[in-house]
Amino acid sequence: MSSRRSRSRQAESSRISEDQINELVSKLQQLLPEIQTRHSDKMSAAKILQETCNYIRNLHREVDGLSERLSELLETSDTAQAALIRSLLMQ
Amino acid sequence: MKARTGYSTSLKQEFLKKWIKGIRIYSNFKKDMNILERKKAIKLSADLAIASTRNASTRWSRTLTANISKNETNKIFVEQIFSDSEVIKKEAPSRLMARSNRIASKKIWRRSHITQIKARKMGPYAVKARSIAKKLVKNRTKVLKSLVPGGENMDGISLIKETLDYIVSLRVQVDVMRRLASAAENSTRSL
Repeated sequence: MSSRRSRSRQAESSRISEDQINELVSKLQQLLPEIQTRHSDKMSAAKILQETCNYIRNLHREVDGLSERLSELLETSDTAQAALIRSLLMQ
Repeated sequence: MKARTGYSTSLKQEFLKKWIKGIRIYSNFKKDMNILERKKAIKLSADLAIASTRNASTRWSRTLTANISKNETNKIFVEQIFSDSEVIKKEAPSRLMARSNRIASKKIWRRSHITQIKARKMGPYAVKARSIAKKLVKNRTKVLKSLVPGGENMDGISLIKETLDYIVSLRVQVDVMRRLASAAENSTRSL
């Protein structure tokens, strides 16, 4: 008797965490840029994970590329930099 | 609860301020940098700044800061940035490993038992399809763990939660860097 009860409790707790995971995975899908979610409703967990990995890699690459670009741009005088920074901080 | 746009604007401002502070400290440290050094200063400051917006509340941000501080030359620089406010916590090795191994072995037994029951109900092809799908998810989870700082020791739910926060932060970082870059291009054009 008690084993049946504890088994159903186990099943319920794994159901709860499965729901949790599904909810989190759908949040992940919502973060993906539209280009990657063409098949929106039909995305499987595996697909969402794959696109998430691609997205993160792209973001890393962008940060690296922007760092390089900024390094070239900020080569000029300090006063130009100061003016630039000041204008941005005012936004 | 703050409106979504309000939240991200203050986050962007916080990142920008911290980032510029880092660049300034770095420039005082190393005068006359060449283009590669400057890139490193910009990138390092950006990573430290975005991690610091989390106030050590996420694993990825703590790991990122700790990884940067591991390097001896960076350490002095990092200490200067955090001198007035936060403490650099040493990221403790995860104690979850032992527990997760015990749980994993239980799961493996239960899984093999359940698979036999399912094969009787669903038929062998459906079971195979399910197991392939599970393998795919497992492999991609592994890749995700390598991309999120500190991801290796996280369980599934924590990993996804950390990933959500990490992606939002990366977007803030990219957005602000992009705007600075285009503003810099515009200002050099008008000079």
